[in-house]
Amino acid sequence: MDKVTIGIPRALHYYYYGTLWTSFLEELGFRVLVSPKTTKDILTSGCNLSNDEMCLSLKIYFGHVYTLESKCDYILVPRIDNYGVTEQTCTNFLGLFDMVQNFITTPLLTYNIDEAHQKHEMNEFIKLGLSLGKGKEQSKLAYIHSFKKWLKENKIRKKEESKKLNSQKIKILLVSHPYNIEDPYIGSEILKLLKNMNVEVIMAEAFISREGNKKALELSPNLYWKYNKELIGTIPLLQKQIDGILYVSSFPCALDSLVNELMLRKIKMPHLNLIVDEESGSAGMETRLESFIDILYEKREKAR
Amino acid sequence: MRKGYLGIDIGSISTKGVILDEENNILESLYIWTEGNPIKAVKRLLKELKEQLDEDVEIYGIGTTGSARKLIGLMVDANIVKNEITAHAVGTTHFYPNVKTILEIGGQDSKIILLNDSIITDYAMNTLCAAGTGAFLSSQAKRLGVEINDFGMLALKSRNPVKIAARCTVFAESDLIHKAQVGYPKEDIIAGLCRSVVLNYLNNVGKGKKIEKPIIFQGGVSKNEGVVKYFREILNADVIVDSNSHLMGAIGIALLAHSHEDGKKRTLNIADISFETKGRECDKCSNHCEILRIYKDHTFIESWGSKCGKIS
Amino acid sequence: MKKEKKLGSITFPQMGDYAIPANFLLSHILHNKIIVPKKITSRTIELGTKYSPEFVCTPFKYTLGTLLEGLENGANILIQAGGGCRYGYYAELQEQILKDLGYDFKFYNLVVAGHTDVKRIYHMMKEIDPKFHVLKGIYYLLITKQMIKYMDDIDHYIRGNIGFEVEKGSFLKLKEEMLKNFSKVNNPLKLHYLYRKYKKKFKEIKINKPNDVLKIGIIGELYTVMEPYSNYELEKELASMHIEVKRFTNVYYLLFEKHKKIKQYLKNTKKYITYQMGADAADNIGRAKELCLDRYDGIIHIKSSFCTPEISAMPIISKVCNDYHVPVIFFSFDSNTSEVGIKTRLEAFYDMLLMRRKL
Repeated sequence: MDKVTIGIPRALHYYYYGTLWTSFLEELGFRVLVSPKTTKDILTSGCNLSNDEMCLSLKIYFGHVYTLESKCDYILVPRIDNYGVTEQTCTNFLGLFDMVQNFITTPLLTYNIDEAHQKHEMNEFIKLGLSLGKGKEQSKLAYIHSFKKWLKENKIRKKEESKKLNSQKIKILLVSHPYNIEDPYIGSEILKLLKNMNVEVIMAEAFISREGNKKALELSPNLYWKYNKELIGTIPLLQKQIDGILYVSSFPCALDSLVNELMLRKIKMPHLNLIVDEESGSAGMETRLESFIDILYEKREKAR
Repeated sequence: MRKGYLGIDIGSISTKGVILDEENNILESLYIWTEGNPIKAVKRLLKELKEQLDEDVEIYGIGTTGSARKLIGLMVDANIVKNEITAHAVGTTHFYPNVKTILEIGGQDSKIILLNDSIITDYAMNTLCAAGTGAFLSSQAKRLGVEINDFGMLALKSRNPVKIAARCTVFAESDLIHKAQVGYPKEDIIAGLCRSVVLNYLNNVGKGKKIEKPIIFQGGVSKNEGVVKYFREILNADVIVDSNSHLMGAIGIALLAHSHEDGKKRTLNIADISFETKGRECDKCSNHCEILRIYKDHTFIESWGSKCGKIS
Repeated sequence: MKKEKKLGSITFPQMGDYAIPANFLLSHILHNKIIVPKKITSRTIELGTKYSPEFVCTPFKYTLGTLLEGLENGANILIQAGGGCRYGYYAELQEQILKDLGYDFKFYNLVVAGHTDVKRIYHMMKEIDPKFHVLKGIYYLLITKQMIKYMDDIDHYIRGNIGFEVEKGSFLKLKEEMLKNFSKVNNPLKLHYLYRKYKKKFKEIKINKPNDVLKIGIIGELYTVMEPYSNYELEKELASMHIEVKRFTNVYYLLFEKHKKIKQYLKNTKKYITYQMGADAADNIGRAKELCLDRYDGIIHIKSSFCTPEISAMPIISKVCNDYHVPVIFFSFDSNTSEVGIKTRLEAFYDMLLMRRKL
């Protein structure tokens, strides 16, 4: 008999928990099918499934879910609400499961993280394993293994990324949700342009740390959004080692619209705020990036 | 003596007038440009209609619809003033009682109306974006140096419509300039534009709506063969364009004027009456409402725009 | 000797009639001068929009505008409330924006991350007015709670009947009088007496209401629903069309009923949703179903542009209404929404509902 296949949309939280999910499900003996990298078709079908005002990242997520339709036995669509009262996620993440349920016929697999109401990750993963007919111990072990693997991967990533800090080139801290900057239709173009401009791009997402989270609260005491907190926490940690900050968000990201605006006002250092929507042409982007980099070069020259 | 009923549809770009007889047959119709002045346009419209009309016809009902419906309703002493969605639906179902979907693209807005047994069941109107409306097509035709009337025919010649970002006027325009600079043939760009109008419409107004046959396409843009072609192609269905497709709103409101007849005779002789609007900003509170005062024959008749309702 | 600090003047954002109970509460428990926010005008929105980030949801712009006007009128203590979506984070950014504009003030946010901490609020009050007394605070808080309940209750009756008043303006005139008298009370008995008295008076207002009136339910994002200026006076417009209106969201609901009611809504809409989706999104899905079952003619969903929880709920609300064959129309308001466009769509909605009645 063929293995049960579980589809994972390559969008939104895939970029945080991809390893954790894949490893967990594979260890339990399932085949995992991750949707391909975002293409124009995925984006278009996502746009067709969504409301105009939804953010680009969510539209892309819908597109990915749609490509998995009837190609697998289940699609994994978690609901990640919060990791505690002051560690909330975006409301799109809260409604994701129900929104997807609304247009897809393939059965959904889900788990619910709501630590404010005692729904913790490990227990939820065990429940997930149980719902797939696996044992409690087996699921628990699979989770622990996967979690360790995930941690290790993040550590390696951070180490790799840290090396860039020694570079003599112009260094830019790129503050963006991983699901945006790593998506071919949102961030890749920007990364490509930056590469051609011969600057070192430091990805904020690789430097998430407890220390950073504390620093984030010094910048914004009431900030209760986990992912934004983690990102802006890297700014004070790395500020002395970089030349400028580039914020990249998808249109019209609810959380970035407030938090990035606050950062633009509070952090006194050269910055550029790019908002990407499905029509953003690279031409306009290139000009803005170029002039931003020029400013950084000029500033460095002057400092000498 | 015969009775006649006049329907006036005053849009931002064009003004349409239709006179029906008691059997609801079209006696006269006229299509003129609004040119930014609905009052002047309607005066001209009525004057020309009167010249065309047989002398024994007397007007027993006037209806107004379109964006200037209220103002013109006052001016011509309309017995009914209705929004354009209802007017279009009434007009269309008169000719096509079993129509299920009405696609409409006008000068500055577009709408979709879904019906069942001549009853509107759902509708949508574009709210934000002007891409894909008549005004957008006209401006792009001008940019490309093409007569708007030739636009549709040129589009049909294309074998290879270019892809144009369709979401928003600004993007579409910059994309268009780019494509023209790169050297794409004109007809391919024009076809691309027509196609983008359709895609934009379906993604915007038509989003989430179940488009069922029979489908009727109307409004000014329905005269553009290119757009019609791509509607047929993309919807993969027959799309009917009535020869009166640009007049449907006016016909609808004329029908309503007939069914709401109040026995009062009306005149088309309004060319000489003085009808003026005076705008001023009220300074009684920080709302600064734009108060519009309307005068007919130099007497004040109504005012609009006061949020508190205390100012006239 | 420690010099006594001069007390600051307080202001807070405007929302519907609720400035009245808010002012009532603050002026009784604190010795500070209260600068009651003026009704929102186009200037408020211009101000708010000018200094807000572009893609923030509209209530941010509205509340920023009212706070700015408060500062102009001499306030130097600003109070924001926060809520269960990004509203909860408004305060911090607004504080920064206003500071960057050069104003000098203290900013207090009552609700952080959707949660209120009684102790924190106590310290806040003590800081605003060192003479703040807890018992007095609780006493007036309870009266205010009751006042809000009565106001919302009367509003509910008004919405159902104002479209049918015989003498134009009679409901609003009486309401104005009632609110004026409410704000003068100082004990719960007097308040209760006034409530009974006005309830009776409202019932005595002559109406001409046929049995088969059109009934419409309004659901949507809370600020837009509750602040008439931000929804282009939708309720007034519907009243002029002689429609009976039901709306669910009010302050009393949000503060005291939501936590209970939401469980019921989730249970009733199991077929459509499993989880809460932030702010009032799940509530609105539940309400949509309730309105469908109660045989309302149509549902109007309103929200400010870019309100994420409601955007998530919209496709599901469509589905519910589709299943029950009840028409629903969605309005997304922005500071530059065309009023003419709203009216046209509203009129068409009305025509459609009338036509459907004939089926």
